[in-house]
Amino acid sequence: MEDYKFLFKVVLVGNAGVGKTCLVRRFTQGLFPPGQGATIGVDFMIKTVEVDGEKVKLQIWDTAGQERFRSITQSYYRSAHALILVYDISCQPTFDCLPDWLREIEEYASSKVLRILVGNKIDREDREIPVHVGEDFASRHNMYFLETSAKEADNVEKLFMKIAEDLMQQARSKDLLRYDKDTANITGKTSVITDSNCCSRLT
Amino acid sequence: MKAASAPSYRMPEPAFTLRTTVSYIEKKRKRRVAKEIVTGCCGCCNALRPRYKRLVDNIFPVNPQDGLVKSNMEKLTFYSLSSPEKLDRIGEYFYQKASRDIYRRRHGFVIIAMEAMDQLLVACHAQTLNLFVESYLKMVQKLLESTEPKLQILATQSFVKFANIEEDTPSYHRRYDFFVSKFSAMCHSNEDRPYMRNQIRLAGIQGLEAVVRKTVSDDLVENIWEPVHMDKIVPSLLFNMQESGFHMKEVGSVEAAPEDELDPPTLAESCLRELVGKASFGHIKAVLKPVLRHFDLHELWCPNQFAVHTFRIIIFSIQAQYSYTVVESLMAHLDENSKSSPEIRTSIADVLSKIIAIAAGESVGPSVLEIINSLLCHLRDSVKNGINQAEEKQYQDALINALGEFANHLPDYQKIEIMMFIMSKIPFPPKVNQTPADNLLQSILLKSLLKVGTKYQTIHFNTTFPVSFLEPLLRMSLAPDPEMRLLVQKILHTLIDRHNNLEKLSKATVLVSDLDLVLEKSSRPDLIFINKHGPVIYDALYTSLQIETNSVENIEAIYTTVSLLCVELASAEVVIDIIQLLLGIQNLAITNTSLSASQAYNLHVLVISVFELICVVFDLPSLQKYANKIIAARRKQDHFLLPEMLSHYPDNHYPNPKEPFVYLEQTAICDILREDGLDPSRLSQTSPYGAGGPGAIAGTSQRHSWSETNARGSVVDIGTTQDVDSESSSPGVQKKLPEEKLTFEHMKRVLTEPPEARKEAEAEKREELNNFFRTATLAEIMQRTKPKHEDLQTKLQEIFKSLSSSEVHRSPTHQKKVEQEIPVYEQNFPEMFAY
Ligand SMILES: Nc1nc2c(ncn2[C@@H]2O[C@H](COP(=O)(O)OP(=O)(O)O)[C@@H](O)[C@H]2O)c(=O)[nH]1
Ligand SMILES: [Mg+2]
Repeated sequence: MEDYKFLFKVVLVGNAGVGKTCLVRRFTQGLFPPGQGATIGVDFMIKTVEVDGEKVKLQIWDTAGQERFRSITQSYYRSAHALILVYDISCQPTFDCLPDWLREIEEYASSKVLRILVGNKIDREDREIPVHVGEDFASRHNMYFLETSAKEADNVEKLFMKIAEDLMQQARSKDLLRYDKDTANITGKTSVITDSNCCSRLT
Repeated sequence: MKAASAPSYRMPEPAFTLRTTVSYIEKKRKRRVAKEIVTGCCGCCNALRPRYKRLVDNIFPVNPQDGLVKSNMEKLTFYSLSSPEKLDRIGEYFYQKASRDIYRRRHGFVIIAMEAMDQLLVACHAQTLNLFVESYLKMVQKLLESTEPKLQILATQSFVKFANIEEDTPSYHRRYDFFVSKFSAMCHSNEDRPYMRNQIRLAGIQGLEAVVRKTVSDDLVENIWEPVHMDKIVPSLLFNMQESGFHMKEVGSVEAAPEDELDPPTLAESCLRELVGKASFGHIKAVLKPVLRHFDLHELWCPNQFAVHTFRIIIFSIQAQYSYTVVESLMAHLDENSKSSPEIRTSIADVLSKIIAIAAGESVGPSVLEIINSLLCHLRDSVKNGINQAEEKQYQDALINALGEFANHLPDYQKIEIMMFIMSKIPFPPKVNQTPADNLLQSILLKSLLKVGTKYQTIHFNTTFPVSFLEPLLRMSLAPDPEMRLLVQKILHTLIDRHNNLEKLSKATVLVSDLDLVLEKSSRPDLIFINKHGPVIYDALYTSLQIETNSVENIEAIYTTVSLLCVELASAEVVIDIIQLLLGIQNLAITNTSLSASQAYNLHVLVISVFELICVVFDLPSLQKYANKIIAARRKQDHFLLPEMLSHYPDNHYPNPKEPFVYLEQTAICDILREDGLDPSRLSQTSPYGAGGPGAIAGTSQRHSWSETNARGSVVDIGTTQDVDSESSSPGVQKKLPEEKLTFEHMKRVLTEPPEARKEAEAEKREELNNFFRTATLAEIMQRTKPKHEDLQTKLQEIFKSLSSSEVHRSPTHQKKVEQEIPVYEQNFPEMFAY
């Protein structure tokens, strides 16, 4: 039994193999999946969390990293409230691709989207990207930054909670309130934000 | 599950009973439903009599395996029908129960709840449906959000049923965004168990199909054509289709899948058909764009079976009047791929050629020329890209193929339009600094023209060859590039040949009766045509034969053209004209020292072959006897004077001009023609190509003036310029006596101006025109020359008038020339200028 006051859409992007699916599974199911196949197209998970005593539902869209699914994955950017851009701290090429990903985000996502840079797999010994390099990149591009390990469950909870908090803050800002009134007018109901339509219009 | 309280069979209780239960509800709330959604502060608590909850609770069995309690379900249905205002609360309650059951993984109850909601949905009256739909959809979404494939599939099936219900007043704030997103994700399921994966994908496709059906008729509910939806739906369908590989099978071997066994590819395909079929003009692009993008990203152009398969589906499903949009989009996509490998472009062009025919039937007016124009532009770009690459050439062939396929399915009148349009795009005359790319472009455009020409079936020559088409074509038949000249002849062949004689006349032969030619008496319009335009055509052929770069193919092609003209336009007049032409050609072979030995031989072979053809076609027994004598003599004295045409002859072997009895003789022919009942008087007049018989060079200069005033004079200044150009760019074109290149402009000056002034002005004018023609488009040239032509007629008249009134002032030579030419002008000019 659950209900929620806020619904936010979170989309994960980044090269194939950086651990997007593992991050999502760790967060939504509390497990580190052994050898699952690569994501194709998009995958979908849901998790409801509590922020300041309010239920917040996170719709998490996990995308395939491969180029060939780009057209379908990009179509999910637009309605995203938050975009998590993931790279693998033990794999330089996944970091080198970040500018390309940013370009795509610029092109297809809302300009107001919350952007988070995540360096995953910090449990690994063979780090190639120092923390400060990731941090620098994030601050240069006006993103949050966090390093995680889906395997060890490091910072995964924190990552999504941070997003939920931040989006809730945003949602409580004036823009949203004005929007709520509109909803009330259309539906003739209360100002409870319950379904996806309100949020897709937020963007 | 809580025990079912005693069912009440009474109809809705009066209001006071409701009030008495409020406290009971409050308690219940605190105890069990504390987390229920707060539906607002409207103060409607007094309506919350739990009867509906009890009715809902009662449909659930103790054991989920037992399924829905049917009798209680009937009670619930009856209740909700009689109290439709309760529907939203019933729905909400179901939703809450199901949410809880999902959370506790009691899937059996979830399934029962969904089933009950389905039944209520169907039972509801249209007007009251809206009250229920909101919570119903929340329920479906809830199930779709679960990680359990079974529930996702169940929810989809329920949604499909919902989509089939017609709603009177759809709720305009309802959004299907989540459903499209989720169903698309399901279409890409990567579930480990193959069977389950298939089921989830199948459900995803069915869900998408349902959303489309639900929304397509009403943009206000949800504009399903928005890119945000189409960019999900279309790739999801294609992704499932491409996995099947059934498009790879041979066309004949495609076995229809068993009807009841739905598989994702088949379903995705039918869904795509439906989607495309429903798209209106404004929406078609929204479907096509993601299709093209998908093919790019999934690298599905090479090999292109799947692309062809998909685009066939699209073009067959699309509303016919929009089919050209598909062509347009593919062409725009070629543009976008201008930097891609030629293989990819070839594949796209090939797809285009495979569907363009279907579009052609529906294309009208400007869209036709747009498509042609776009194809020509791509050809031009390809030429710029690379001249020597084999791959690029394949791409060009694919484009030309597409062009041909397209033209093939247009009505004939449009084919002529297209041919003229292509003609207008051919850069001609050649530039002074013509590059190989320019040459290639010209010949590629001519190839396109040829392709369209082969799809066209001539009925009357005057419709096939409007002057504005014939005239530039003949000009191009004199192009410096032998390849191009050959193409022009081939275009003439396909357009002239109406009785499938082309194949039979492709090789010079004197065994005409073996050819089994198909003959038909020519019609009056045809004879009028050849009377009008014959001289220009013959002259172009004659002039073309003088070009030193001619290969045996060039000469043989001209043989074919002349032969086809004979066969298609049989008349007494044509006989005389062609014999005259043959005598001219023979003279050329004998006297023109700049021709090679093999060219001279080839010309002689051409002459005797056509001559023999005339005898057979026109049934002239005496003339045939004469022809046979010559053939016999040739066989004895120099068999190289007989077919076939060779490209090499033994060293130091030349036709001997002194040899008796092996050449046609004008006087002999005149006599014999009379025997066969033809009037040879025109033949005995001075030939436009020279005096006729061997060694009679005297008439050559006259022939030139004739030819200039006809073939080239007809375009006046264009002709002059072309001569200048061809002199500088191609030494092959014979221009021995520049003074003789007379146009009427010139003639008038000759007659009126002092020689010095004339020369100066002429040089100036040529310079100016040269510049003009180097830069102007053909359309501009036409524009420019058009008024001139009209002027010319007036000028001519003036000249003739002044000639007859003041002959005294003319020198004898001028006078003679003009007098001879008068009939020719009169005969030929008016039409030549009728653009
Ligand atoms: N050591 C380590 N491996 C991880 C971590 N996250 C994911 N992986 C591994 O990286 C591979 C790819 O993970 P996946 O989630 O499928 O990547 P995705 O393509 O971005 O979704 C898998 O073999 C995972 O086991 C992590 O935090 N630490
Ligand atoms: Mg993945």
